[in-house]
Amino acid sequence: MSAALEPIVGRYVSVEIAGQPCRVYFEEAGEGIPLVCLHTAGADSRQYRHMMCDTDITSRYRVIAFDMPWHGKSYPPPGWQDEEYRLSTERYVETVMAFCDALALDRPALIGCSIGGRIVLQLAHQHADRFRALIGVEAADFQEPWYDTSWLHRGDVHGGEVCAALVSGLVAPQSPEVYRHETLWQYMQGGPGVFRGDLYFYRVDGDLRGRLDGIRTDRCPLFLLTGEYDFSCTPEDTLRTAASIPGAQVTIMRELGHFPMSENPQQFRGYVLPVLDAIARL
Amino acid sequence: METNAMPAQGALDAQLAHRFRSCAQSFSRPRQVNMDLLLRFGDAPLLVRIRDGRVTAADAPTAPLPSCDVSLRASAKAWSRFWQAVPDAGWHDIFALSKRGELAIEGNLQPLMAHLQFIKDLLATGREAQA
Repeated sequence: MSAALEPIVGRYVSVEIAGQPCRVYFEEAGEGIPLVCLHTAGADSRQYRHMMCDTDITSRYRVIAFDMPWHGKSYPPPGWQDEEYRLSTERYVETVMAFCDALALDRPALIGCSIGGRIVLQLAHQHADRFRALIGVEAADFQEPWYDTSWLHRGDVHGGEVCAALVSGLVAPQSPEVYRHETLWQYMQGGPGVFRGDLYFYRVDGDLRGRLDGIRTDRCPLFLLTGEYDFSCTPEDTLRTAASIPGAQVTIMRELGHFPMSENPQQFRGYVLPVLDAIARL
Repeated sequence: METNAMPAQGALDAQLAHRFRSCAQSFSRPRQVNMDLLLRFGDAPLLVRIRDGRVTAADAPTAPLPSCDVSLRASAKAWSRFWQAVPDAGWHDIFALSKRGELAIEGNLQPLMAHLQFIKDLLATGREAQA
């Protein structure tokens, strides 16, 4: 057989989140230190496909990326049709912890991008002892809004198209065309109102300014990586956030935007590999 | 000094409008887009008529107060930086420009949002070719 099989394997796991059963889809590849990966708002775990095929990572890490409920191949919980989806800080933390518990992961490392980067900060604040290390990509305690999220879900504008078109400017101009459009396709495929519901956490519920005291980076190292072309979570936003967290290690990444692992995996690995090297030495 | 600067700036504005007009006239996408888009390059306006996904006209308005569906307005400096072959961070997208106060988006935003990638691709036609 000469099929060009990738090492990624996908499975489902049932977890309870906010008292509701959720069937969560995840993919994984590699062996070693568990590395849980959180996708951006309105997208799914496919964003980590390149890291899951990088033997410099998978030779040391068990890379695990899951689709949040409402995203990718994870259905919303039963009854979703009667409610408006709104991601809250509490629900997001519970989702991450429930997934890690369901797979019995022992102090995994965790990487999250965008809203995943924001929740990394909350995890560092609330659950540092549960993680070996935390990596926030495009992470900040707050960032200025730059459009009205009501455009993301209304009858006279195609939700998937407008989501993708809005975030297209967050991809760095240097990123390869094929990966730029793969990244945008994820946004085009999102469920109705899901991106907007995720941004409820980002814009309304998850303002972490002044709420991140007591983070112990000596117990759980915190790495922050932000692309220079990200005008949503700007390098200044990340640097301001890091300044309030003693021991946080910041890198501003050249020629990358808001979706580093998805939009330009080759450029991103130059920044994430040294971080993973450091975590492996802990 | 100032009297010399004004005509030079006006010429630069007009030059950018002309450049965009040259690039945009052949722009089309297989999409049902119908709108009148007013662009201002500094003080140089250009009314872009789009019918059935095709730019059918791009001309300076013949009368004051041109009617349009949506307008985008930026300085010649902002358009020039936006159109660099590889624009600098913060100058690479219309919303990056908008967020930093360098681009004004006015009018009815519904047709803009309904056809946002179309408009973004149209505006990017003015971009210099990469070496």
